[in-house]
Amino acid sequence: MTTLDSEKLFAARLHAARVRPYLATALFALHPVESRTVPTMAVDRHWRCYISPGFVDRTPLDELAGVWVHEVSHLLRDHHGRGDRYALAHGLSGPGERLRMNIAADFEINDDAYGDGLTQPAGVVLPSLVRLPEGQLMEEYLHEFRLGPHTQNLVWLDCGSGADGLEREWDLGPGDAHGLTDQEQDAVRFRVANGINGRPGRASRNWQRWAEDVVHPPQAWRDLLGAAIRSAVSGGGAGEDYTYSRPARRAASLPKVVLPSLRRKPPRVSVVIDTSGSVSDAELGSALLEVAAIARAVGGRRDLVTVLSCDAAARVVHPLCRAEGIPLVGGGGTDLRTGFTKALRTNPRPDVIVALTDGHTPWPASRPSCRTVIGLFARDTGHSSWSEDDPDYVPKHPPDWARVVSIG
Amino acid sequence: MTTKGDHLMLTSARLDVANDLLGLLRDSGTEPRPDTQLEALTLAVAADLPVLLWGEPGIGKTAALGQLAEALDLPLTTVIASVHEPSDFSGLPVIGDDPAVQGVPMAPPDWAVRLVRAGRGLLFLDELSTAPPAVQAALLRVVLERRIGTLRLPPGVRIVAAANPRSSAADGWELSPPLANRFVHLQWVHDHDVVVRGLGGTWPRASLPRLDPALLPDAVAYARRAVCGFLAARPALVHQLPTSETRRGGPWPSPRSWEMALFLVAFATAAGTSREVLSLLVRATVGDGPGLELLAALDRMDLPDPETLLADPGNAVLPERGDLRQAVLDGVVEAVRKRPERSRWEAAWVVLVKAMETGAPDLVVVPAGDLAALRREDWDVPAAIDRLTGAISVSRRADREGVRAA
Repeated sequence: MTTLDSEKLFAARLHAARVRPYLATALFALHPVESRTVPTMAVDRHWRCYISPGFVDRTPLDELAGVWVHEVSHLLRDHHGRGDRYALAHGLSGPGERLRMNIAADFEINDDAYGDGLTQPAGVVLPSLVRLPEGQLMEEYLHEFRLGPHTQNLVWLDCGSGADGLEREWDLGPGDAHGLTDQEQDAVRFRVANGINGRPGRASRNWQRWAEDVVHPPQAWRDLLGAAIRSAVSGGGAGEDYTYSRPARRAASLPKVVLPSLRRKPPRVSVVIDTSGSVSDAELGSALLEVAAIARAVGGRRDLVTVLSCDAAARVVHPLCRAEGIPLVGGGGTDLRTGFTKALRTNPRPDVIVALTDGHTPWPASRPSCRTVIGLFARDTGHSSWSEDDPDYVPKHPPDWARVVSIG
Repeated sequence: MTTKGDHLMLTSARLDVANDLLGLLRDSGTEPRPDTQLEALTLAVAADLPVLLWGEPGIGKTAALGQLAEALDLPLTTVIASVHEPSDFSGLPVIGDDPAVQGVPMAPPDWAVRLVRAGRGLLFLDELSTAPPAVQAALLRVVLERRIGTLRLPPGVRIVAAANPRSSAADGWELSPPLANRFVHLQWVHDHDVVVRGLGGTWPRASLPRLDPALLPDAVAYARRAVCGFLAARPALVHQLPTSETRRGGPWPSPRSWEMALFLVAFATAAGTSREVLSLLVRATVGDGPGLELLAALDRMDLPDPETLLADPGNAVLPERGDLRQAVLDGVVEAVRKRPERSRWEAAWVVLVKAMETGAPDLVVVPAGDLAALRREDWDVPAAIDRLTGAISVSRRADREGVRAA
C-alpha cells in the first residue's frame, strides 16, 4: 500500500499557485483529505479535496498541479449547485445524468485551463471529444450532448460531489470536519473574482468572464426589458389606479365618507425600430414579439401598440406585425430622432416609447415628453464602432433619461 | 325512508368524519432545524429595520411570519394589500357636520385602531406588488413613517412587507432607488427538503436568536469598529447609486444602508448568530458586492493579530483554513518588515515553524522566503530554521517544476 507523498502533493499545489496566482486563495482554502476509495482526486461541495495516495504516486508533479487547478475550478464555478439547479429545472435524475454533468463541467474547465505553465493531465476530456465548440458553459454543453459511444470510455470519470452534486461514499458530509460554509465559499469566490477583476491581464478570458459574473450576475434580458416596460407603462397616468375624480361604487352605501374609485386607462406604447443597423432579423423579431407580449400583458390592446420603423428596408417588421396584428405606421430616415419625433406627434400621444436599436444613432437632445425604454442590441465594440466616413467615430451612449436594457 | 331530521343528522355526521380527517391531516410535528432566512428575518425585525420579503406567491411567507410572531411573542395582523384601497392606509376622509370649522378627519381602519390600542404586535403587509400604485404609495408610508391616517403606530409594533419579484409581478412593480435604499431586501426561497419533510408531517422548528444582555456594549463597539474600519479603507463604497438595469430596485450602498448594516452587525453579534445569517442580512442591505467585502473584512478582524503572535510566538494559535492561515503568516512577515528588529525577526521564524508543524507545508514557503529576505548582516540564522526543511524541499520541487515548464 502506498503512503501519501504529501511533499509531492503540496509541491504541486505550490506550483499551481505560482502559475495561477489569482487562484491561490482558493487553492489554499481546499482542505486535503487522504482517501483510499477515490480513484484519483475528487472534491465535495464543502471544499474538501479527497486524494488517492496511489494517484499522487503515479502522476507526475506537473500534471498533479493541473489536477489541483481543475478540482478547485469545479468549486469556484459552483458546478454542483448549477448541476442541481439544471437537474431540477429539466427534471433529470440518476447517476447517468450526474456523469453527464461531470463531463460537461469538465468541458467548461478544460478548454482553457492548461498551458501557460500547467501541463495538461493525461486523459483529460475536451469538448472536441463529442465534436462541440470550446468556450461554452456547462449548461450549454449539457444541452448538446448525450452519453453514447463517444463517451463510453469516460465512465471512470469522477471529480466527486463538488463537480456534479451527487453524494459519494467517501464524502464526509456537511458537519464540521474542515468544511467551508456557504458564506465562506462565497467569500473565497468573491476574493478570487476581485483579484481577477483587479488585474485581468493575468487570467484567461474564461476566468475573466467568470469573475465578471460573480460580482454582477447576468440577468435575462427578457425579464429586464419586461420589468422596464411594465414599470414605465404602469407609472402615473396610465394603467390601473385609484382616483378621487369620480365617486366610487361603494360611495352610495357609505354616506359622509369620500371614497376613491378605481380607474383604468390602458397604456399606449410606441415601438421605434432602428432597422438600419447590423441587427439580425431573428434578434429584432424576438425583441419585437417580447415588447408586443408585454404591452398586451399590462392591458394594452392591440390597437394601442404602434410600431415605427426607422428605415425604408423594413424587412422583418412587415410580416411580423401582420401576424401580430400590429399596424405599421410610416418609415423613412435612418436617424432615430425622426422616429421619436414622429412617435410623439401621433395623436393621442403614447405613454411609453420603446426604442430597439444597436445604438449607432444620434439621440434626441432633450428628454421626450413620455417615458422611454431603450432596448440596446449589444455588439462587440471591436468592429461595429467603425464608420466608413469617420474612422474615429464612436457611438454615443444612450441618454440617461431613458432606461436602457442590453439585449442579446 | 329518511325524514328531513335524519338527513340533517346524516350530513352532520359526515361533516364530523370530514373534520376528523382534516384533524389527522393537520396533525404534524416539528423538529429543530436551523433556518437561516427565518433567523435573518427575526434579527432584522428585532433591529426594527423595514424588511421587504421578496418571494414567489405560495412559498410559505405567511407561515414564516406566523413563526416569527410566535418567536417575538407578538400578535400577528396580516393585511393583504391588493384587496385594500389607498384610503384604508392613509385614512378615510369623513365629512362632519361643518367641515369648514372642524376640518375633515381621516378615519383610520379598525385593525390599525386595534394595533395602536394593544401597543404591540406584528403587522404583515402582504402582496405589496399586486396592489394599484396609489395603494402601494400609501403602504410604503405605513412601513417607512409608521403612520396610518392620523394614527402613529407605537414602537412596540413591528412591520414586515412582502412583494413578488419584479419578473413575476403582474404589472412590473419595482422600487425607485431611494425607496429601495430604505429596506432590508430579504429573498425568500423555499427549501425543497423542508417542504417534502413538512408535507410528510414534520415541519422545522428554527432556533431563533436571542440577544444576550451582557454582550450589548461589546457588540456595539465591534460593529462600529468593523463598519467604520472597512469604510475608511474603501471610501468608494460609501455611496454607489445603482446604474445598471440589473441592480435596479435592489439593495445598494449609501450612508443610510451602511447604518442599517452597522445595526445588523451589532444585533448579530449580540445574538451570537452565524456568519451565514449575517451574510444574508448585510447583502440584503448594501448589496452583494459591498456586503461580501464587509464580511471579508470581518473575517480578517477575527484573525489573530500579528503583533500578538510576535509577542508570544511559542503559544501562537493559527487558523486551520489554509487561505486564512496564509493571510496570517503574510501579516506576520509584513509586521516585521514595518519594524525590523532582530527579536521580532526571530519570533516570526518561530511562528513559521509552528505553522509548518501544524499544517500544510506549501503555505509556509512564500512567507519564509519573504522573511529570509529581511535578514540583516549581523543577524544569525535561527536554529529553528532547520525544522523548515519540509517547506524548503516542497519549494525546491515546485521550483524545479517551474524551471521545466518555463
